[in-house]
Amino acid sequence: MSWSLRLPFLSLSFSARAVAVGSCLLLLVTVGSVLALRLGSYPFTETSWLSVLLGAGSEIERMILMDHRLPRILTALGAGACFGLSGAMFQTMMRNPLASPDVIGFNAGASCGALIAIILTGGNVLLGALIGALLTAILVVSLAWKEGLPPQRLVLIGLGIGFALAALSDLLLSRTDARTAADMAEWLIGTLNARDWQDVWLVWSGLLLLAPALFWIHFPLARLGLSDDLTSSLGLRLSPLRLGLTGLGILLAALAVCTAGPLPFVAFAAGPIARALVPNGKPALLGAAVIGALLVLAADTASRMVPSIQLPAGVFTALIGGPVMIWLLMVQFRKGKL
Amino acid sequence: MNAPARLHAKALSVAFAKTPILKDLTADIPDGKITVIVGPNACGKSTLLRSLARLQKPDSGEVLLDGKSIHKQANRSVAQRLAILPQSPSAPEGLTVQDLVTRGRTPHQSALRQWSHQDAEAVGRALELTGMAPYANRPLEALSGGQRQRAWIAMAMAQDTEILLLDEPTTYLDLPHQIELLSLIQSFNQQSNQTVAMVLHDINLAARFADHIIALRAGAIFTKGSPAEVVTRNNMEQVFDLRCQIISDPVHRTPHVIPE
Repeated sequence: MSWSLRLPFLSLSFSARAVAVGSCLLLLVTVGSVLALRLGSYPFTETSWLSVLLGAGSEIERMILMDHRLPRILTALGAGACFGLSGAMFQTMMRNPLASPDVIGFNAGASCGALIAIILTGGNVLLGALIGALLTAILVVSLAWKEGLPPQRLVLIGLGIGFALAALSDLLLSRTDARTAADMAEWLIGTLNARDWQDVWLVWSGLLLLAPALFWIHFPLARLGLSDDLTSSLGLRLSPLRLGLTGLGILLAALAVCTAGPLPFVAFAAGPIARALVPNGKPALLGAAVIGALLVLAADTASRMVPSIQLPAGVFTALIGGPVMIWLLMVQFRKGKL
Repeated sequence: MNAPARLHAKALSVAFAKTPILKDLTADIPDGKITVIVGPNACGKSTLLRSLARLQKPDSGEVLLDGKSIHKQANRSVAQRLAILPQSPSAPEGLTVQDLVTRGRTPHQSALRQWSHQDAEAVGRALELTGMAPYANRPLEALSGGQRQRAWIAMAMAQDTEILLLDEPTTYLDLPHQIELLSLIQSFNQQSNQTVAMVLHDINLAARFADHIIALRAGAIFTKGSPAEVVTRNNMEQVFDLRCQIISDPVHRTPHVIPE
């Protein structure tokens, strides 16, 4: 079943199932965020969190909520959405669920670039992450190119480059002093420890700025799922489209990596989970964004709940993403796509 | 001499890895008619069709659509006049027939205008004409081969172009479904006066459904004309290396090949 929206300047059609699933997911995000605000080493009761948020409560309570938990949660949601969007875009463009930026090395490139930026200049993490992801993408694509991009070549070469970059990051760590190295090592697994409002501002203004481009590119991206021949016979131009998609996807991945670290498997798992919930053959960008946000929120909250030891959130996203990857690999093998 | 056809191949040459596929080929696709391209395997049939649809860039020569080189026109504007259904097309898993047919509207749509009244009308019409309306909400992979092929044809029809190219639309279909599909294309052509060009393997089906046949051999046109002119004993032996008798189809009065 589907609904049509017709305004003078805009006409769209929605599937009823997508709207229903989307509403449930948004509800989950809201409930999850409230839970995440309340839970922790200093728990809030069912009502006290709201009064603190509205200005009541002690100084300490306000500090815990407003300076620690809220920015951390908002950063988690924003970074998760970026990961999910970036993953779903690459997966749809390559017509292969394995072609997500964390599997094919782009995230490793972003974190390596960010590390270099921090160690060498102490400076701009975002710029470092962007340049790292961009250079990695150029390297992986040019090595994997063979009259197009055969998926298995891309995935294997991307994996290899990703490992090499991880080794390079380790090498960089060993060249710095112990304290920085310990912080950096945690960051490399992916963590939302000690996020402040600056991170919130960065990731959400980035998302807001990219939103019109995402809305615009969703239309051709949905057609790209058919095949190259069909896409161009429908009047779309493949090369500019692919270039635009890759650029946007890399921007999103870099934005996520520099605010939450290279959290493994979020970009990879968000799209397939969204498509399993609404199996209609569409790119599911919005769904992937919300699932990505939920995954990172859940992983970060779980990492805060383990008493005494601070486990980075990346450990938990790997726990969720690993089984999803095995499931997808089995499906791909069965279909003979790998 | 009539006015030149809207779709015209002019001295086309195409090579893959230095092996020539089409050699200096010139052809008209007559307006409003059904043209069928026939020839033995690897004679360049598909390459010719793909070149006509600007999916294959020629090494030399050009394809003219409405008098202008097809590669020099905006892709979107070409897609509003010419649709092609490539061989064994593929769709993402879960895509419904309705959504697939809606994809055909792409050259008439934009990000802000994704579902206008004209879109809904054209999609509904294509689903009706192909008899796919009852299956509109089914995912493509849940259909039989014949239904799936009709869904793809419906997508090309929804594109609402004056020219429709089809690359072996009957592949993987059994004989009744081949006839059903070709009859559908023929009745659509007669109702809407749409120009159709397609590649077919079966020379008898070509003779029955074509107004105009182009017979290729080794990348060049061996002969062309009406089915009666092309499907002759001599031509079949030269084009296909097939020794045969030609009889007149007792039902449709078209030439019918009986291999010896």
